[in-house]
Amino acid sequence: MYFYDAAAPIVTKESIDFSVAFYGDRYSQEKKKEETMEEWKKRLAGEEPSYINLPMDQEEYETFWKALVEAEVVTLHEFEKKEIFEGCMPIEVMAKRGMDTLRFGPLKPMGFDDPRTGKRPYAVVQLRQDDKQAELYNLVGFQTNLKFGEQKRVFQLIPGLGQGDFVKYGVMHRNTYLNSPELLTETYQLKSNPNLYFAGQLTGVEGYVESISSGMVVALNTIAYYQSQKQRIDYLPITFSAYTMIGSLAKYISTPNHKFQPMNANFGILPEWEGKKIRDKKERYQKLAERSLKHLFFVPEGKK
Amino acid sequence: MKEYITIIGGGLAGTEAAYQIAKAGIPVKLYEMKPKKYTPAHHSSELAEVVCSNSFKSNLLTNACGLLKEELRKLDSLLIRIADETKVPAGQALAVDREEFSQRVTEEIKNNPLIEIVSEEVGKGLPTTLSDLIKESITIVATGPLTSDPLAEEIAELTRAK
Ligand SMILES: Cc1cc2nc3c(=O)[nH]c(=O)nc-3n(C[C@H](O)[C@H](O)[C@H](O)COP(=O)(O)OP(=O)(O)OC[C@H]3O[C@@H](n4cnc5c(N)ncnc54)[C@H](O)[C@@H]3O)c2cc1C
Ligand SMILES: Cc1cc2nc3c(=O)[nH]c(=O)nc-3n(C[C@H](O)[C@H](O)[C@H](O)COP(=O)(O)OP(=O)(O)OC[C@H]3O[C@@H](n4cnc5c(N)ncnc54)[C@H](O)[C@@H]3O)c2cc1C
Repeated sequence: MYFYDAAAPIVTKESIDFSVAFYGDRYSQEKKKEETMEEWKKRLAGEEPSYINLPMDQEEYETFWKALVEAEVVTLHEFEKKEIFEGCMPIEVMAKRGMDTLRFGPLKPMGFDDPRTGKRPYAVVQLRQDDKQAELYNLVGFQTNLKFGEQKRVFQLIPGLGQGDFVKYGVMHRNTYLNSPELLTETYQLKSNPNLYFAGQLTGVEGYVESISSGMVVALNTIAYYQSQKQRIDYLPITFSAYTMIGSLAKYISTPNHKFQPMNANFGILPEWEGKKIRDKKERYQKLAERSLKHLFFVPEGKK
Repeated sequence: MKEYITIIGGGLAGTEAAYQIAKAGIPVKLYEMKPKKYTPAHHSSELAEVVCSNSFKSNLLTNACGLLKEELRKLDSLLIRIADETKVPAGQALAVDREEFSQRVTEEIKNNPLIEIVSEEVGKGLPTTLSDLIKESITIVATGPLTSDPLAEEIAELTRAK
Protein backbone atom coordinates (compact mmCIF):
# COMPACT_ATOMS: atom_id res chain seq x y z
CA MET A 1 0.00 0.00 0.00
CA TYR A 2 2.94 2.38 0.45
CA PHE A 3 5.61 3.65 -1.90
CA TYR A 4 7.71 6.74 -2.46
CA ASP A 5 7.43 9.88 -4.55
CA ALA A 6 10.34 12.20 -5.24
CA ALA A 7 10.50 16.02 -5.49
CA ALA A 8 13.10 18.16 -7.32
CA PRO A 9 15.30 20.88 -5.80
CA ILE A 10 14.71 24.60 -6.41
CA VAL A 11 17.37 27.30 -7.00
CA THR A 12 17.16 31.09 -7.07
CA LYS A 13 17.55 32.72 -10.48
CA GLU A 14 19.91 35.24 -8.96
CA SER A 15 22.45 32.54 -8.25
CA ILE A 16 22.51 31.18 -11.82
CA ASP A 17 25.48 32.10 -14.01
CA PHE A 18 23.99 33.55 -17.19
CA SER A 19 27.28 33.55 -19.03
CA VAL A 20 26.55 29.83 -19.29
CA ALA A 21 22.77 29.57 -18.99
CA PHE A 22 20.34 30.51 -21.74
CA TYR A 23 16.57 30.77 -22.12
CA GLY A 24 14.70 28.57 -24.54
CA ASP A 25 12.09 26.02 -25.22
CA ARG A 26 13.06 22.64 -26.64
CA TYR A 27 10.77 23.18 -29.61
CA SER A 28 11.77 26.68 -30.65
CA GLN A 29 15.31 27.25 -29.46
CA GLU A 30 17.16 25.28 -32.11
CA LYS A 31 19.04 27.27 -34.74
CA LYS A 32 17.33 26.90 -38.12
CA LYS A 33 19.57 25.91 -41.02
CA GLU A 34 18.86 29.06 -42.97
CA GLU A 35 19.48 31.34 -39.98
CA THR A 36 22.77 33.14 -39.41
CA MET A 37 24.11 33.30 -35.85
CA GLU A 38 22.98 36.91 -35.65
CA GLU A 39 19.44 36.25 -36.90
CA TRP A 40 19.11 33.31 -34.55
CA LYS A 41 20.26 35.26 -31.49
CA LYS A 42 17.90 38.08 -32.40
CA ARG A 43 14.97 35.67 -32.70
CA LEU A 44 15.78 34.09 -29.34
CA ALA A 45 16.02 37.50 -27.67
CA GLY A 46 12.49 38.29 -28.89
CA GLU A 47 10.93 35.17 -27.41
CA GLU A 48 9.10 34.94 -24.11
CA PRO A 49 11.58 33.57 -21.58
CA SER A 50 10.49 30.09 -20.52
CA TYR A 51 12.96 27.38 -19.53
CA ILE A 52 16.50 28.17 -18.45
CA ASN A 53 18.95 25.74 -20.00
CA LEU A 54 22.36 24.71 -18.77
CA PRO A 55 24.51 23.13 -21.48
CA MET A 56 27.29 20.66 -20.69
CA ASP A 57 30.20 19.38 -22.73
CA GLN A 58 31.28 15.76 -22.49
CA GLU A 59 33.87 16.32 -19.79
CA GLU A 60 31.52 18.35 -17.61
CA TYR A 61 28.81 15.75 -18.04
CA GLU A 62 31.04 12.86 -17.10
CA THR A 63 32.34 14.63 -14.00
CA PHE A 64 28.78 15.37 -12.93
CA TRP A 65 27.57 11.86 -13.66
CA LYS A 66 30.37 10.29 -11.65
CA ALA A 67 29.69 12.51 -8.64
CA LEU A 68 25.96 11.79 -8.89
CA VAL A 69 26.21 8.01 -8.90
CA GLU A 70 28.72 8.06 -6.03
CA ALA A 71 26.81 10.52 -3.85
CA GLU A 72 25.33 9.48 -0.52
CA VAL A 73 21.60 8.87 -0.40
CA VAL A 74 19.17 8.96 2.52
CA THR A 75 18.68 5.46 3.94
CA LEU A 76 15.18 4.24 3.27
CA HIS A 77 13.20 1.96 5.53
CA GLU A 78 12.64 -1.56 4.30
CA PHE A 79 8.99 -0.94 3.42
CA GLU A 80 9.91 2.22 1.53
CA LYS A 81 12.29 0.44 -0.81
CA LYS A 82 9.68 -1.84 -2.29
CA GLU A 83 8.49 0.40 -5.04
CA ILE A 84 9.95 3.46 -6.65
CA PHE A 85 7.50 5.47 -8.65
CA GLU A 86 8.49 5.00 -12.28
CA GLY A 87 7.18 8.34 -13.56
CA CYS A 88 9.08 10.19 -10.86
CA MET A 89 12.27 8.13 -10.62
CA PRO A 90 15.07 9.67 -8.54
CA ILE A 91 17.75 11.10 -10.82
CA GLU A 92 20.53 9.12 -9.15
CA VAL A 93 18.64 5.85 -9.68
CA MET A 94 18.23 6.68 -13.35
CA ALA A 95 21.90 7.70 -13.60
CA LYS A 96 23.00 4.38 -12.17
CA ARG A 97 21.45 2.56 -15.09
CA GLY A 98 24.26 3.73 -17.33
CA MET A 99 26.54 6.60 -18.15
CA ASP A 100 24.33 7.83 -21.00
CA THR A 101 20.87 7.15 -19.58
CA LEU A 102 20.37 10.76 -18.43
CA ARG A 103 21.37 12.05 -21.86
CA PHE A 104 18.40 10.15 -23.27
CA GLY A 105 16.17 11.25 -20.40
CA PRO A 106 15.87 14.58 -18.58
CA LEU A 107 19.26 15.83 -19.83
CA LYS A 108 18.50 15.15 -23.47
CA PRO A 109 20.22 17.83 -25.61
CA MET A 110 17.66 17.41 -28.41
CA GLY A 111 16.26 20.67 -29.80
CA PHE A 112 18.93 22.89 -28.26
CA ASP A 113 21.94 24.67 -29.62
CA ASP A 114 24.35 26.51 -27.38
CA PRO A 115 24.02 30.24 -28.19
CA ARG A 116 27.71 30.70 -27.48
CA THR A 117 28.75 28.31 -30.21
CA GLY A 118 25.68 27.45 -32.27
CA LYS A 119 26.52 23.80 -31.65
CA ARG A 120 24.57 20.99 -30.04
CA PRO A 121 25.64 20.54 -26.38
CA TYR A 122 26.51 17.08 -25.05
CA ALA A 123 23.75 17.31 -22.43
CA VAL A 124 21.34 20.00 -21.17
CA VAL A 125 19.87 20.51 -17.72
CA GLN A 126 16.57 22.39 -17.82
CA LEU A 127 15.22 24.69 -15.13
CA ARG A 128 11.53 25.53 -14.97
CA GLN A 129 10.09 28.71 -13.49
CA ASP A 130 8.54 28.00 -10.12
CA ASP A 131 7.01 31.31 -8.95
CA LYS A 132 5.29 34.24 -10.59
CA GLN A 133 8.15 36.65 -9.87
CA ALA A 134 10.49 34.30 -11.76
CA GLU A 135 12.91 34.25 -8.88
CA LEU A 136 12.81 30.50 -8.29
CA TYR A 137 13.52 27.69 -10.72
CA ASN A 138 13.22 23.94 -10.27
CA LEU A 139 15.58 21.41 -11.84
CA VAL A 140 13.40 19.49 -14.25
CA GLY A 141 13.55 15.75 -13.64
CA PHE A 142 15.83 16.06 -10.60
CA GLN A 143 13.61 14.36 -8.05
CA THR A 144 16.11 12.88 -5.68
CA ASN A 145 16.87 10.97 -2.59
CA LEU A 146 20.39 12.38 -2.15
CA LYS A 147 21.22 13.81 1.26
CA PHE A 148 20.80 17.56 1.34
CA GLY A 149 24.52 18.29 1.74
CA GLU A 150 25.26 16.00 -1.19
CA GLN A 151 22.62 17.68 -3.35
CA LYS A 152 24.38 20.99 -2.91
CA ARG A 153 27.81 19.53 -3.67
CA VAL A 154 26.76 17.48 -6.70
CA PHE A 155 24.29 19.89 -8.31
CA GLN A 156 26.77 22.76 -8.03
CA LEU A 157 28.92 20.78 -10.48
CA ILE A 158 26.34 21.58 -13.16
CA PRO A 159 27.74 24.42 -15.31
CA GLY A 160 25.94 27.65 -14.38
CA LEU A 161 25.04 26.41 -10.90
CA GLY A 162 28.51 26.74 -9.39
CA GLN A 163 27.15 29.34 -6.96
CA GLY A 164 23.66 27.83 -7.04
CA ASP A 165 21.57 28.81 -4.04
CA PHE A 166 19.22 25.90 -3.27
CA VAL A 167 16.18 27.21 -1.44
CA LYS A 168 14.58 23.80 -1.38
CA TYR A 169 16.14 20.38 -1.68
CA GLY A 170 14.65 17.36 -3.34
CA VAL A 171 12.98 14.90 -0.96
CA MET A 172 11.40 11.47 -0.96
CA HIS A 173 7.92 10.92 0.38
CA ARG A 174 5.48 8.21 1.16
CA ASN A 175 2.55 7.69 -1.15
CA THR A 176 -0.55 5.91 0.10
CA TYR A 177 -3.24 4.53 -2.17
CA LEU A 178 -6.08 2.05 -2.11
CA ASN A 179 -6.53 -1.17 -4.01
CA SER A 180 -9.31 0.62 -5.88
CA PRO A 181 -10.17 -2.05 -8.48
CA GLU A 182 -11.26 -4.28 -5.65
CA LEU A 183 -12.80 -1.65 -3.39
CA LEU A 184 -14.34 1.14 -5.47
CA THR A 185 -17.03 1.53 -8.11
CA GLU A 186 -16.60 3.66 -11.23
CA THR A 187 -17.92 6.62 -9.24
CA TYR A 188 -15.22 6.25 -6.54
CA GLN A 189 -17.83 4.92 -4.09
CA LEU A 190 -16.85 2.20 -1.63
CA LYS A 191 -18.60 -1.00 -2.73
CA SER A 192 -19.09 -2.17 0.85
CA ASN A 193 -20.48 1.13 2.18
CA PRO A 194 -22.34 3.46 -0.20
CA ASN A 195 -22.03 6.37 2.24
CA LEU A 196 -18.28 6.50 1.71
CA TYR A 197 -16.53 7.93 -1.34
CA PHE A 198 -12.82 8.48 -2.01
CA ALA A 199 -11.23 11.21 -4.14
CA GLY A 200 -7.74 12.26 -5.20
CA GLN A 201 -4.45 10.46 -5.23
CA LEU A 202 -5.66 8.06 -2.53
CA THR A 203 -7.74 6.32 -5.20
CA GLY A 204 -4.76 5.57 -7.42
CA VAL A 205 -5.20 8.41 -9.89
CA GLU A 206 -1.79 10.03 -10.13
CA GLY A 207 -1.11 13.75 -10.48
CA TYR A 208 -2.55 17.15 -9.69
CA VAL A 209 -5.02 17.38 -12.55
CA GLU A 210 -6.01 13.74 -12.21
CA SER A 211 -6.75 14.33 -8.50
CA ILE A 212 -8.89 17.33 -9.37
CA SER A 213 -10.75 15.28 -11.98
CA SER A 214 -11.66 12.61 -9.43
CA GLY A 215 -12.85 15.36 -7.06
CA MET A 216 -15.18 16.51 -9.83
CA VAL A 217 -16.64 13.04 -10.48
CA VAL A 218 -17.11 12.38 -6.76
CA ALA A 219 -18.80 15.75 -6.22
CA LEU A 220 -21.35 15.13 -8.99
CA ASN A 221 -22.06 11.67 -7.60
CA THR A 222 -22.39 12.64 -3.96
CA ILE A 223 -24.79 15.38 -5.07
CA ALA A 224 -26.87 12.81 -6.95
CA TYR A 225 -26.69 10.35 -4.07
CA TYR A 226 -27.65 13.02 -1.53
CA GLN A 227 -30.66 14.12 -3.60
CA SER A 228 -31.78 10.52 -4.11
CA GLN A 229 -31.67 9.84 -0.35
CA LYS A 230 -33.52 13.01 0.42
CA GLN A 231 -36.22 12.52 -2.18
CA ARG A 232 -36.33 8.74 -1.70
CA ILE A 233 -35.69 8.00 -5.34
CA ASP A 234 -33.17 5.70 -7.02
CA TYR A 235 -29.55 6.82 -7.18
CA LEU A 236 -28.40 6.98 -10.77
CA PRO A 237 -24.60 7.06 -10.75
CA ILE A 238 -23.06 9.75 -12.94
CA THR A 239 -20.28 8.44 -15.14
CA PHE A 240 -18.55 10.07 -18.06
CA SER A 241 -18.15 8.36 -21.42
CA ALA A 242 -15.14 6.04 -21.73
CA TYR A 243 -14.13 8.26 -24.66
CA THR A 244 -13.32 11.05 -22.19
CA MET A 245 -10.15 11.21 -20.11
CA ILE A 246 -12.12 11.97 -16.93
CA GLY A 247 -14.36 8.95 -17.56
CA SER A 248 -11.52 6.64 -18.56
CA LEU A 249 -9.50 7.39 -15.44
CA ALA A 250 -12.46 6.55 -13.22
CA LYS A 251 -12.98 3.37 -15.18
CA TYR A 252 -9.31 2.48 -15.03
CA ILE A 253 -8.97 2.65 -11.26
CA SER A 254 -12.17 0.64 -10.73
CA THR A 255 -11.48 -2.13 -13.25
CA PRO A 256 -9.87 -5.38 -12.04
CA ASN A 257 -6.22 -5.36 -12.89
CA HIS A 258 -3.63 -7.99 -12.00
CA LYS A 259 -1.05 -5.49 -10.80
CA PHE A 260 -2.76 -2.23 -9.97
CA GLN A 261 -0.50 0.82 -10.28
CA PRO A 262 -1.41 4.48 -9.89
CA MET A 263 -2.32 6.00 -13.24
CA ASN A 264 -1.68 9.33 -14.95
CA ALA A 265 -3.93 10.61 -17.69
CA ASN A 266 -2.75 9.03 -20.96
CA PHE A 267 -4.19 8.20 -24.35
CA GLY A 268 -3.54 4.51 -23.80
CA ILE A 269 -6.56 4.22 -21.50
CA LEU A 270 -9.02 5.56 -24.11
CA PRO A 271 -10.74 3.21 -26.58
CA GLU A 272 -8.90 3.05 -29.91
CA TRP A 273 -9.81 5.30 -32.81
CA GLU A 274 -12.53 3.54 -34.80
CA GLY A 275 -11.90 5.11 -38.16
CA LYS A 276 -9.07 4.59 -40.60
CA LYS A 277 -5.74 4.01 -38.91
CA ILE A 278 -3.87 7.25 -38.25
CA ARG A 279 -0.14 6.77 -38.22
CA ASP A 280 0.90 10.20 -37.06
CA LYS A 281 0.68 10.25 -33.28
CA LYS A 282 -0.15 13.91 -32.95
CA GLU A 283 -2.89 13.68 -35.53
CA ARG A 284 -4.32 10.60 -33.83
CA TYR A 285 -4.29 12.26 -30.41
CA GLN A 286 -5.98 15.31 -31.88
CA LYS A 287 -8.79 13.07 -33.19
CA LEU A 288 -9.10 11.26 -29.86
CA ALA A 289 -9.25 14.60 -28.07
CA GLU A 290 -11.97 15.92 -30.36
CA ARG A 291 -13.94 12.69 -29.90
CA SER A 292 -13.63 13.03 -26.14
CA LEU A 293 -14.89 16.60 -26.01
CA LYS A 294 -17.83 15.62 -28.22
CA HIS A 295 -18.83 12.94 -25.70
CA LEU A 296 -18.25 14.93 -22.53
CA PHE A 297 -21.89 15.84 -21.99
CA PHE A 298 -23.30 12.73 -23.61
CA VAL A 299 -25.76 10.96 -21.33
CA PRO A 300 -26.18 7.24 -22.10
CA GLU A 301 -29.71 5.93 -22.81
CA GLY A 302 -31.67 5.05 -19.70
CA LYS A 303 -29.65 7.36 -17.50
CA LYS A 304 -31.49 10.54 -18.34
CA MET B 1 -28.86 11.39 7.82
CA LYS B 2 -27.49 14.88 8.32
CA GLU B 3 -28.27 17.54 5.74
CA TYR B 4 -24.72 18.09 4.53
CA ILE B 5 -21.87 16.24 2.88
CA THR B 6 -18.62 15.71 4.77
CA ILE B 7 -15.22 15.97 3.08
CA ILE B 8 -11.98 14.99 4.79
CA GLY B 9 -8.88 16.66 3.30
CA GLY B 10 -8.72 20.16 1.82
CA GLY B 11 -6.18 19.35 -0.90
CA LEU B 12 -6.67 19.48 -4.65
CA ALA B 13 -9.46 16.89 -4.86
CA GLY B 14 -11.20 17.94 -1.63
CA THR B 15 -11.47 21.64 -2.46
CA GLU B 16 -12.72 20.97 -5.99
CA ALA B 17 -15.40 18.64 -4.58
CA ALA B 18 -16.37 21.14 -1.86
CA TYR B 19 -16.86 23.89 -4.43
CA GLN B 20 -18.97 21.73 -6.77
CA ILE B 21 -21.20 20.41 -3.98
CA ALA B 22 -21.79 23.88 -2.56
CA LYS B 23 -22.57 25.07 -6.07
CA ALA B 24 -25.41 22.54 -6.12
CA GLY B 25 -26.79 24.17 -2.97
CA ILE B 26 -25.76 21.43 -0.54
CA PRO B 27 -23.86 22.38 2.66
CA VAL B 28 -20.36 20.96 3.09
CA LYS B 29 -18.35 20.25 6.22
CA LEU B 30 -14.67 20.18 5.27
CA TYR B 31 -12.17 18.63 7.71
CA GLU B 32 -8.56 19.70 7.20
CA MET B 33 -5.84 18.93 9.74
CA LYS B 34 -3.63 21.86 8.71
CA PRO B 35 -2.46 24.17 10.26
CA LYS B 36 -2.48 22.00 13.42
CA LYS B 37 -0.68 19.11 11.78
CA TYR B 38 1.33 18.84 8.57
CA THR B 39 2.33 15.92 6.37
CA PRO B 40 6.08 15.76 5.54
CA ALA B 41 5.39 17.44 2.16
CA HIS B 42 2.87 20.12 3.16
CA HIS B 43 4.26 23.35 4.64
CA SER B 44 1.72 26.08 3.96
CA SER B 45 -1.41 26.73 6.01
CA GLU B 46 -3.47 27.29 2.85
CA LEU B 47 -5.82 24.76 1.27
CA ALA B 48 -5.05 23.15 -2.12
CA GLU B 49 -1.30 23.23 -1.58
CA VAL B 50 0.82 22.34 -4.61
CA VAL B 51 3.45 20.17 -2.95
CA CYS B 52 6.09 19.55 -5.59
CA SER B 53 6.53 20.78 -9.14
CA ASN B 54 4.49 23.90 -9.95
CA SER B 55 3.54 22.47 -13.33
CA PHE B 56 0.06 21.12 -14.13
CA LYS B 57 1.66 19.66 -17.27
CA SER B 58 0.89 20.34 -20.91
CA ASN B 59 -1.95 22.52 -22.07
CA LEU B 60 -2.06 20.98 -25.56
CA LEU B 61 -5.10 18.90 -26.52
CA THR B 62 -2.72 16.37 -28.06
CA ASN B 63 -1.39 15.71 -24.56
CA ALA B 64 -3.56 13.52 -22.33
CA CYS B 65 -3.25 15.80 -19.35
CA GLY B 66 -3.99 18.79 -21.58
CA LEU B 67 -7.18 17.09 -22.73
CA LEU B 68 -8.15 16.33 -19.14
CA LYS B 69 -7.69 20.00 -18.23
CA GLU B 70 -9.87 21.05 -21.17
CA GLU B 71 -12.62 18.63 -20.06
CA LEU B 72 -12.42 20.06 -16.57
CA ARG B 73 -12.64 23.62 -17.91
CA LYS B 74 -15.84 22.71 -19.70
CA LEU B 75 -17.18 21.18 -16.48
CA ASP B 76 -16.48 24.47 -14.67
CA SER B 77 -13.65 23.24 -12.47
CA LEU B 78 -12.71 25.83 -9.84
CA LEU B 79 -9.10 24.70 -9.55
CA ILE B 80 -8.32 24.66 -13.27
CA ARG B 81 -9.89 28.10 -13.60
CA ILE B 82 -7.70 29.44 -10.82
CA ALA B 83 -4.65 27.65 -12.29
CA ASP B 84 -5.34 29.43 -15.58
CA GLU B 85 -5.58 32.72 -13.73
CA THR B 86 -2.36 32.30 -11.77
CA LYS B 87 -0.17 30.79 -14.48
CA VAL B 88 3.48 31.62 -15.05
CA PRO B 89 5.30 31.25 -18.40
CA ALA B 90 6.27 27.61 -19.05
CA GLY B 91 6.08 27.02 -22.78
CA GLN B 92 3.24 24.64 -23.60
CA ALA B 93 2.78 23.65 -19.99
CA LEU B 94 0.39 25.17 -17.47
CA ALA B 95 2.60 26.11 -14.53
CA VAL B 96 1.28 28.19 -11.64
CA ASP B 97 2.49 30.57 -8.99
CA ARG B 98 1.94 28.08 -6.19
CA GLU B 99 1.41 30.64 -3.39
CA GLU B 100 -1.12 32.66 -5.34
CA PHE B 101 -2.88 29.52 -6.56
CA SER B 102 -3.44 28.16 -3.05
CA GLN B 103 -4.40 31.54 -1.64
CA ARG B 104 -7.02 32.04 -4.33
CA VAL B 105 -8.55 28.58 -3.79
CA THR B 106 -8.53 29.09 0.00
CA GLU B 107 -10.34 32.43 -0.30
CA GLU B 108 -12.94 30.92 -2.60
CA ILE B 109 -13.64 28.07 -0.14
CA LYS B 110 -13.51 30.18 3.02
CA ASN B 111 -15.86 32.81 1.64
CA ASN B 112 -18.44 30.27 0.53
CA PRO B 113 -21.35 30.47 3.01
CA LEU B 114 -22.29 26.81 2.41
CA ILE B 115 -18.84 25.48 3.34
CA GLU B 116 -17.77 25.07 6.95
CA ILE B 117 -14.08 24.36 7.53
CA VAL B 118 -13.22 22.26 10.58
CA SER B 119 -9.49 22.40 11.41
CA GLU B 120 -9.25 18.91 12.79
CA GLU B 121 -7.48 15.68 11.99
CA VAL B 122 -9.79 12.69 11.50
CA GLY B 123 -8.82 9.13 12.27
CA LYS B 124 -8.68 6.19 14.63
CA GLY B 125 -8.40 7.15 18.29
CA LEU B 126 -9.03 10.85 17.57
CA PRO B 127 -12.08 12.86 18.75
CA THR B 128 -13.57 12.50 15.26
CA THR B 129 -13.29 9.14 13.54
CA LEU B 130 -14.22 8.20 10.00
CA SER B 131 -16.60 5.50 11.28
CA ASP B 132 -18.55 8.15 13.20
CA LEU B 133 -18.73 10.46 10.21
CA ILE B 134 -20.07 7.89 7.76
CA LYS B 135 -22.89 7.02 10.17
CA GLU B 136 -24.04 10.62 10.03
CA SER B 137 -23.52 11.83 6.50
CA ILE B 138 -22.31 11.01 3.04
CA THR B 139 -18.54 11.29 3.37
CA ILE B 140 -15.69 11.84 0.93
CA VAL B 141 -12.14 10.95 1.94
CA ALA B 142 -9.63 13.05 -0.03
CA THR B 143 -6.62 13.01 2.24
CA GLY B 144 -4.08 12.33 -0.47
CA PRO B 145 -0.86 10.34 -0.80
CA LEU B 146 0.29 11.40 2.65
CA THR B 147 -2.89 10.57 4.55
CA SER B 148 -2.03 10.78 8.25
CA ASP B 149 -1.41 7.49 10.04
CA PRO B 150 -4.53 7.38 12.27
CA LEU B 151 -6.75 7.78 9.24
CA ALA B 152 -4.73 5.43 7.02
CA GLU B 153 -5.13 2.84 9.73
CA GLU B 154 -8.86 3.40 10.00
CA ILE B 155 -9.32 3.24 6.22
CA ALA B 156 -7.35 -0.01 6.10
CA GLU B 157 -9.66 -1.51 8.75
CA LEU B 158 -12.84 -0.22 7.15
CA THR B 159 -11.96 -1.48 3.70
CA ARG B 160 -10.77 -4.84 4.97
CA ALA B 161 -14.08 -5.51 6.72
CA LYS B 162 -16.47 -6.56 3.99
C1 LIG C 1 10.82 15.50 4.74
C2 LIG C 1 11.83 16.60 5.04
C3 LIG C 1 11.78 17.77 4.30
C4 LIG C 1 12.71 18.78 4.55
N1 LIG C 1 12.64 19.86 3.76
C5 LIG C 1 13.61 20.79 3.88
C6 LIG C 1 13.62 21.88 3.00
O1 LIG C 1 12.74 22.01 2.14
N2 LIG C 1 14.62 22.80 3.12
C7 LIG C 1 15.60 22.67 4.07
O2 LIG C 1 16.50 23.51 4.10
N3 LIG C 1 15.60 21.66 4.93
C8 LIG C 1 14.64 20.72 4.88
N4 LIG C 1 14.66 19.69 5.75
C9 LIG C 1 15.72 19.67 6.81
C10 LIG C 1 16.93 18.80 6.39
O3 LIG C 1 16.63 17.51 6.82
C11 LIG C 1 18.33 19.11 6.97
O4 LIG C 1 18.23 19.17 8.35
C12 LIG C 1 19.00 20.39 6.51
O5 LIG C 1 18.72 20.69 5.18
C13 LIG C 1 20.51 20.27 6.66
O6 LIG C 1 21.06 19.34 5.70
P1 LIG C 1 22.48 18.65 5.82
O7 LIG C 1 23.06 18.62 4.49
O8 LIG C 1 23.24 19.32 6.91
O9 LIG C 1 22.15 17.20 6.36
P2 LIG C 1 22.02 15.82 5.60
O10 LIG C 1 23.07 14.93 6.16
O11 LIG C 1 21.98 15.99 4.14
O12 LIG C 1 20.63 15.32 6.08
C14 LIG C 1 20.25 15.26 7.42
C15 LIG C 1 18.96 14.50 7.52
O13 LIG C 1 18.01 15.14 6.68
C16 LIG C 1 17.12 14.22 6.12
N5 LIG C 1 17.21 14.27 4.65
C17 LIG C 1 18.23 14.70 3.90
N6 LIG C 1 17.97 14.60 2.62
C18 LIG C 1 16.73 14.09 2.53
C19 LIG C 1 15.88 13.75 1.44
N7 LIG C 1 16.26 13.90 0.16
N8 LIG C 1 14.66 13.25 1.73
C20 LIG C 1 14.25 13.09 3.01
N9 LIG C 1 15.01 13.41 4.07
C21 LIG C 1 16.22 13.89 3.83
C22 LIG C 1 17.54 12.86 6.61
O14 LIG C 1 16.71 12.51 7.69
C23 LIG C 1 18.98 13.07 7.03
O15 LIG C 1 19.36 12.14 7.99
C24 LIG C 1 13.72 18.65 5.55
C25 LIG C 1 13.74 17.47 6.27
C26 LIG C 1 12.83 16.44 6.02
C27 LIG C 1 12.91 15.16 6.81
C1 LIG D 1 6.07 14.91 -2.55
C2 LIG D 1 5.06 14.78 -3.62
C3 LIG D 1 5.31 15.33 -4.85
C4 LIG D 1 4.35 15.28 -5.86
N1 LIG D 1 4.62 15.87 -7.04
C5 LIG D 1 3.71 15.90 -8.01
C6 LIG D 1 3.99 16.60 -9.22
O1 LIG D 1 5.05 17.18 -9.39
N2 LIG D 1 3.04 16.61 -10.17
C7 LIG D 1 1.86 15.99 -10.00
O2 LIG D 1 1.03 16.05 -10.90
N3 LIG D 1 1.56 15.30 -8.87
C8 LIG D 1 2.47 15.24 -7.87
N4 LIG D 1 2.21 14.55 -6.72
C9 LIG D 1 1.01 13.70 -6.61
C10 LIG D 1 -0.36 14.34 -6.35
O3 LIG D 1 -0.80 14.92 -7.54
C11 LIG D 1 -0.41 15.37 -5.28
O4 LIG D 1 -0.03 14.78 -4.09
C12 LIG D 1 -1.84 15.97 -5.11
O5 LIG D 1 -1.76 17.03 -4.22
C13 LIG D 1 -2.86 14.97 -4.63
O6 LIG D 1 -4.09 15.60 -4.39
P1 LIG D 1 -5.07 15.09 -3.26
O7 LIG D 1 -6.22 16.02 -3.25
O8 LIG D 1 -5.32 13.66 -3.43
O9 LIG D 1 -4.24 15.23 -1.90
P2 LIG D 1 -3.55 16.51 -1.21
O10 LIG D 1 -3.51 17.64 -2.15
O11 LIG D 1 -2.30 16.01 -0.60
O12 LIG D 1 -4.56 16.89 -0.06
C14 LIG D 1 -4.78 16.11 1.08
C15 LIG D 1 -5.14 17.01 2.25
O13 LIG D 1 -5.64 16.22 3.32
C16 LIG D 1 -5.08 16.63 4.54
N5 LIG D 1 -5.10 15.48 5.46
C17 LIG D 1 -4.33 14.36 5.42
N6 LIG D 1 -4.69 13.50 6.40
C18 LIG D 1 -5.72 14.08 7.08
C19 LIG D 1 -6.53 13.69 8.18
N7 LIG D 1 -6.35 12.52 8.80
N8 LIG D 1 -7.50 14.53 8.63
C20 LIG D 1 -7.70 15.73 8.01
N9 LIG D 1 -6.97 16.15 6.95
C21 LIG D 1 -5.99 15.33 6.49
C22 LIG D 1 -3.71 17.15 4.18
O14 LIG D 1 -3.24 18.08 5.12
C23 LIG D 1 -3.95 17.78 2.80
O15 LIG D 1 -4.28 19.14 2.89
C24 LIG D 1 3.13 14.59 -5.66
C25 LIG D 1 2.90 14.03 -4.42
C26 LIG D 1 3.84 14.11 -3.40
C27 LIG D 1 3.55 13.51 -2.09
